[in-house]
Amino acid sequence: MKNRLMQKTYSYWLLVPGVLIYCVIFIIPTISSFYFAMTRWNLRTAEWIGFDNYITFFSQPSTKNSIGNTFLYAGVTTVIKGVLGLVIAVWLCRKSTKAHGYIKTVFYFPAMLSTVVVGIIFSAILHPSNGIVNQVIMGLGGPKIQWLNDSGLAIWVVMFADIWKTIGINVLIYMSGIAAIPKDYYESSALDGANGWQQFKNITLPLLVPSINSAITLSLIGGMKNYELIWTMTEGGPGYASEVLGTVTYKLFARGNYGLATAGQVIIFLIVCAIVFPVNSWLSKKVVEM
Amino acid sequence: MKKGFGNRIIVGLVIALTAVTHWLLFYIIIINSFKTKAEASKLSLSLPAEWVAWDNYKYVLTYKDFIFLRSMLNSLIITAVTMAVLVLVASMTAFVLVRRKNRFTGFIDKLILAGLIAPLSIIPTYWMLSKLGLANTMPGLILVEIALMFSYATMLYKGYIATVPREIDEAAILDGCGWRELFFGIHFRLMKPITATVIILRAFVVYNDFSNPMYFLSGSKSSTVQLCVYTFQTTYGTDWGHLFAAIVLVSLPPAVLFLIMHKRIMDGMVMGAVKG
Repeated sequence: MKNRLMQKTYSYWLLVPGVLIYCVIFIIPTISSFYFAMTRWNLRTAEWIGFDNYITFFSQPSTKNSIGNTFLYAGVTTVIKGVLGLVIAVWLCRKSTKAHGYIKTVFYFPAMLSTVVVGIIFSAILHPSNGIVNQVIMGLGGPKIQWLNDSGLAIWVVMFADIWKTIGINVLIYMSGIAAIPKDYYESSALDGANGWQQFKNITLPLLVPSINSAITLSLIGGMKNYELIWTMTEGGPGYASEVLGTVTYKLFARGNYGLATAGQVIIFLIVCAIVFPVNSWLSKKVVEM
Repeated sequence: MKKGFGNRIIVGLVIALTAVTHWLLFYIIIINSFKTKAEASKLSLSLPAEWVAWDNYKYVLTYKDFIFLRSMLNSLIITAVTMAVLVLVASMTAFVLVRRKNRFTGFIDKLILAGLIAPLSIIPTYWMLSKLGLANTMPGLILVEIALMFSYATMLYKGYIATVPREIDEAAILDGCGWRELFFGIHFRLMKPITATVIILRAFVVYNDFSNPMYFLSGSKSSTVQLCVYTFQTTYGTDWGHLFAAIVLVSLPPAVLFLIMHKRIMDGMVMGAVKG
């Protein structure tokens, strides 16, 4: 009786629209990508060619750079956003004046802007001859730096823009984590003579692990699969200098090499899973109960 | 006493820093969007010698037969429809997943969680849409956006529904409520705060999205406003006056919303991220 009532009340029909869209648009394509990655494919006919696409993909000159760059980009942005975001959050949490609220809001605002907009803003201020950055450097007698046209610099410039755009998200995540830590932990440790650094190391940091976990996971996934900012600022250039897996794959798609592009995406998929799951479970083990 | 003073100096320094790292950038963009092409090309901080603000903005709004405005409208439609469908299907799914726990719903739950981490396989998705006759169309893009956010939204709703006491359901059923009344009449209303969070957070993401429209509207006549600005950039790369007018216009809706409800947006962001 109760079971029948359950079935009527929480009808599976409610699942149908969402799960249907999710499966048709997300799950089935994800699974079939492993098949299509092994074919020569023009979206109509797919001819089985085994691992040829993977061999071709890895032998492309642009791929070599892109794999290293994908890790570099995800790693550097995650670490800097993680550490700097934490420093800013801890500092902002010490007082809650209007000034602190203002700083938090200003740091967060760029996250509301689109990648295209941020890309254009940075292209403008880093313009080799007229951009404000080079104007100042040259005014002080420095050289004219080709920020986005220098193969060694380009990807670092994009990473900087990425950090500028998204660091506020990490600051907010950490701040809410710190706010949830009971105040008496700090009060009683202060009575025992703990200084600020000891409090940070022994109270804030261990209790902040869930927040650190979400901040790092979000940054890592974003850093691995997002290539929008690179695309709008350098399109992977100069040459292949700032190419990441996402830009390589898009270029293959635009050229109509669908099987090859799908192989690239399977590689992105495997890399994201291989990195994010272990990091996530390692951090989850560190969670301390409050 | 001394410590408070030192802290105040740091606060002052950081505020001064934001003037350079944030306000200066916004100032350069806005002031140069008021200048003529020749003057804007210098990208300087000075006030315009000749104010052509109206001309620049009018140019962007009317160029190529109002393509900017039409793309803006497309973006707003895509955002609105995505949000409406997303909150409906995600809340219904979460409702059943939380209230009816068995092996089947457990499996569905795991399947949905996978979507939080796994990236979208774009080209097979494109193939799927073309099979459905939806490749390079706005409905196709909307389906993709919904599918991409479905896991995240469902997870937020699940957390919320778990806090609603089951006695409410039992009382409603005793009163003769069917599942439609129970869900739409009671639960969907109770979920309003989380629905607001989902919309506030995800609407910006859909509006600002660039890579999915680039893939899924590539061969289409309709474009989103972000694609339109990108095309504008690649076509008129050094025409800074017009380009800046375009990025000011495209940033207006999110910037205005942020001004009005920044506290709410930031709170929602934290709530969403921490649950994830």
